[in-house]
Amino acid sequence: MSQLPFDPLLAAIAAPLVVALAIALGLPKRFSVKLAYAGFTVPALLALHCWYHFPADAAGGYAFVTQYDTGLTLLGISLKLGLNGVSLPLFVMAGIVGLAAGLYAIQSSAERLKLYLMLLLIMHGGLMGVFASVDVFFFYFFHELALIPTFIMVGIWGGRDRHYAAMKLTIYLTLGAMLSLAGLIAIYVQSGAQSFDLVELRRALTAQPLALGLQKYLFGLLLFGFGILVSLWPFHTWAPLGYGAAPSSAAMLHAGVLKKFGLYGFVQIALPLLPQGAPAWTPLLAWLALGNIVIIGLITIAQRDLKQMVGYASVMHVGYGFLGVACLSALGAGGVVLFMVAHGLTVALLFLLATSVHHRTGTFDMQEMGGLAQKAPVLAAFFLTAMLASIGLPGPGLLNFWGELTIFMAVYNHAGWMVVPAVLGVVISAIYGLRAVGRIFYGQPTDAFLAHQQNHPVADLRWSERVPVLILLVTLIALGLWPRAISEPLNATLQAVYPAVEAAATRLAP
Amino acid sequence: MTPVQTALALLLLPLATALVTALFFRRHAAVGRALSLAAAAGIVVLGSRLIFFTDNFTVAAEWLTLGPLTIKLGLLVDDLTKLMLFVVAFIGFLIHVFSTGYMKGEAHVARFFGCLSLFMFSMIGLTLADDLIMLFIFWELVGLSSFLLINFYHDRPAAVAASKKAFIVNRLGDFGFLLGIILAYWAFDTITLVDIAARLDTSPELVATSIALLIFCGAVGKSGQFPLHVWLPDAMEGPTPVSALIHAATMVAAGIFLLCRVGVIMTGDALTVILWTGVVTALFAGVTAFGQRDIKRILAYSTISQLGFMVAAYALGSLVALRNGADATLAGITAGAAAAMFHLTTHAFFKALLFLGAGSVIHASHHEQDIYRLGGLAKKMPVTFATFTLGTLALAGAPFFSGFFSKDAILLLAWQYQPVVFGLLLFGALLTALYMTRLWSAAFLGTARSEGAEHAHESPAVMTIPLVLLAVGAVLAGYLWFYPSALAAVPAAALALLQGEGHTLVAVAGSAAFVVGVALGLLVYRPGAATDFLQQRLPLLYRVMAERFYIDALYDWYVAKVQQRFAMLLNFLDQILLAGLVVRGFAGLVGLLGLGARALHTGSLHAYVYWFLLGLVILWAVVAGIFNLQ
Repeated sequence: MSQLPFDPLLAAIAAPLVVALAIALGLPKRFSVKLAYAGFTVPALLALHCWYHFPADAAGGYAFVTQYDTGLTLLGISLKLGLNGVSLPLFVMAGIVGLAAGLYAIQSSAERLKLYLMLLLIMHGGLMGVFASVDVFFFYFFHELALIPTFIMVGIWGGRDRHYAAMKLTIYLTLGAMLSLAGLIAIYVQSGAQSFDLVELRRALTAQPLALGLQKYLFGLLLFGFGILVSLWPFHTWAPLGYGAAPSSAAMLHAGVLKKFGLYGFVQIALPLLPQGAPAWTPLLAWLALGNIVIIGLITIAQRDLKQMVGYASVMHVGYGFLGVACLSALGAGGVVLFMVAHGLTVALLFLLATSVHHRTGTFDMQEMGGLAQKAPVLAAFFLTAMLASIGLPGPGLLNFWGELTIFMAVYNHAGWMVVPAVLGVVISAIYGLRAVGRIFYGQPTDAFLAHQQNHPVADLRWSERVPVLILLVTLIALGLWPRAISEPLNATLQAVYPAVEAAATRLAP
Repeated sequence: MTPVQTALALLLLPLATALVTALFFRRHAAVGRALSLAAAAGIVVLGSRLIFFTDNFTVAAEWLTLGPLTIKLGLLVDDLTKLMLFVVAFIGFLIHVFSTGYMKGEAHVARFFGCLSLFMFSMIGLTLADDLIMLFIFWELVGLSSFLLINFYHDRPAAVAASKKAFIVNRLGDFGFLLGIILAYWAFDTITLVDIAARLDTSPELVATSIALLIFCGAVGKSGQFPLHVWLPDAMEGPTPVSALIHAATMVAAGIFLLCRVGVIMTGDALTVILWTGVVTALFAGVTAFGQRDIKRILAYSTISQLGFMVAAYALGSLVALRNGADATLAGITAGAAAAMFHLTTHAFFKALLFLGAGSVIHASHHEQDIYRLGGLAKKMPVTFATFTLGTLALAGAPFFSGFFSKDAILLLAWQYQPVVFGLLLFGALLTALYMTRLWSAAFLGTARSEGAEHAHESPAVMTIPLVLLAVGAVLAGYLWFYPSALAAVPAAALALLQGEGHTLVAVAGSAAFVVGVALGLLVYRPGAATDFLQQRLPLLYRVMAERFYIDALYDWYVAKVQQRFAMLLNFLDQILLAGLVVRGFAGLVGLLGLGARALHTGSLHAYVYWFLLGLVILWAVVAGIFNLQ
């Protein structure tokens, strides 16, 4: 196991936060930027370290467990950190996406860069904390810690409609977070475990499950809470608007990582703790997820604004995640985890590259672009690769393919025909994906774009942009080629936790 | 090297050169070309080693395990693999050589050759796959390389549209394919083909039929079967060597390969559907070819038609085997697989030859592709003319040429199965001879009818030598002695069919179709005519054929008028109703309730604090509510 003289998980959370604090205390700009490199790099390296040293004999339990007294013992709250097979892949993904988003932010010419980096670092620290927490209270706390900077960043550095977007984002996400918090606190109160520790909660609830009616009620709370946070149809309208307005690094971290909070909450908390309550809700969840896939998929086709399109595409794809959750099985949940890792990396890539396109075309309107590949072939190649990954094409998107395939397999096994509209999403995403690539990069430049080029000559992707892209892309492809690196610990954990879920599950559809 | 290492080296070599080219030699045409050519030569060497000096083997490793799902990926080398690998490696190499001449002086040559290597990687992976998922992965990758090569000239809107169409239409087919794989996994508890064959009895007939037809959807897309054929003629926007390699000889034939690979799952009902799909495609595309003037498009419709023959051949042979067979399984090389793969092989030779010949013509005549603006090339380009003529004879089914034997096997199976199918396919063969005569006489005979054709002269040796070598194959690939013993299993099985019941009659009928087709062609399409016979005499009919029976127009109409408008409508509802009225209305209501509209509008941080306080109240209420529930 870990050979380090300190706790890698705490260090991964603390590093960006400490750097943020140092910046807040008035560090000069040039030191701030240098220190920010460390703040973004350290969590990624520590995450890789934990992954490499993750014990093969963890048998589904937690590794790297440490517990810190927070003075809230009376309420059963302590900072307990650890990783199991479900959180490990997401912890690594958070580290990698955070690194890429950080590097991209550092080289960006954002106004008030110090404040921007500070907020981004706080967000990053919160993200690492979400997936490293075994304690449910801190799981929630870190989510809020990451969420607040998001609102501020959209409000200050956002693009068009940023005030409305920030407000809407705040209302929706706070509502979602509140509902989830209510559900989580209620579980704590009802379980009688006197602890927010997930392991303790599971032990208590396995020994004495909650009454069926209560489980249904609580699962419903979590369903809508998490659902809103992950943009479940029809509670999704904040997402395209918010991502359309958000500065790119914030969009990368939110859409890529923070948004996974809800799906992760389902897989790690809601399903294992409330196995009997879930079946009452999952048919509804599956239908709404199909709404994400088919309806949002079609809406994505109609988008002209590149960033909105990426936002809608991301909303569409989380439908697969919900569908996997709705299967109530180890296979479905495992597919969701694979999918989340792939989706996080891919969405971050797309938001990054969309911004790079914007820097060169001066617009997000895809009908005012065209022919960009002639001037920026490297950008074109990366964008095409990222888009193909996003639509689940094996190759660049092998990991996305594994995630979707396992979810489809689970869906057919638990919901029969529902797999047909789900797989139809594969065709829909090909339509909007290739249409976007064609409009931006191929053909001849439009008059608007030519006029823009007069004053702003177009250069290809700079190395400061290529490095974060390569970090994301290499991770995505490597994991696609060797999914066992994720799936082995994941499967061990699911085998330990999910028999109870599967025992209580009922088929969703004939 | 062990066989497995050989196979892996064979697979990874072109991927490595593609990556090296993409990463380091994007702007170095000569290096990119040399690397790709070296990879193609290496494929021939390693492929030969695998084909001639290695016994059949299969090897697999566990790739992903989650709950009850275990995905094993692996390699399978058997007689079918070896024949397909032979076609891919040898014809692929010749086309690489030809490309070095054809692409001379073009921009972005390194990208072209990099993509060509990527294609070779994908196609070899497809050939070596031992299970449905591995097949699907490389199936998608050949689609990707095809996409990249069709829009090689990505500043041309037509090429961009064609590549998009190809990708999306193929995805539509793959939609079925993927569903078929999912059904197959739960029916057989494995995706490995060998294991599926062993567990066949466990699945009910209806499930097996659904699986077979769903997987066939993939083949319909990739092999351009009706009604998903629309992408293939448009794909001719790519450079001509690409049309020869990908859209004639190898990738589009992958659907046939797929059918032969998953043959064990077939049922009688599924085969009947497959048979009629093939017959309809063969005739439909054959007729449409008469309405085309572009030399590559005529050849593209001819390819679709011949793929229809192969699909029909597969179904016919399997149906006959099912009718005669004691046991109803279709393991091993059945009559259907043999006939289909044999035609695939001969077709790969003569169609690659014809496309490269067309490429030589286009290259020489400054990119003139209209056959009625060519003409008189026979004297100016003697080697191209001679080899093209041999290719035409082979495709048209001239006796003793390769195409004659492979088509004869198909016709014979049809004769044994059902006279109606035989009649239709015989008519298809006649059409083949007719439209090829039209093309051949217009392009090569008479006098030059355009500036480009006027100044045409023979292509360099680097282009003509591949033509000559392919012509040898086009003539001789119908004879068993042409094949080394390692490859002989499939041709032998196909040629053995020719000894079957009714062989004399079928051979005479096939020859007659050729003779009538060519004679009619020469009579109707006068050499040197500058306009089309049908266009003059039956303009209405010609127009329908030139418009490809309005099927493409129908798709365009659907995309522009139905799909796009529906998407716009949903978008409108989403933005206006859901996001606008409902949400804003709700927010307004909340504002009225006294939370303070000012707080909602002045900045996210303040709003957040207010909402946090409200949240605490709700939270308290919820927790209190739950206390009551108990």
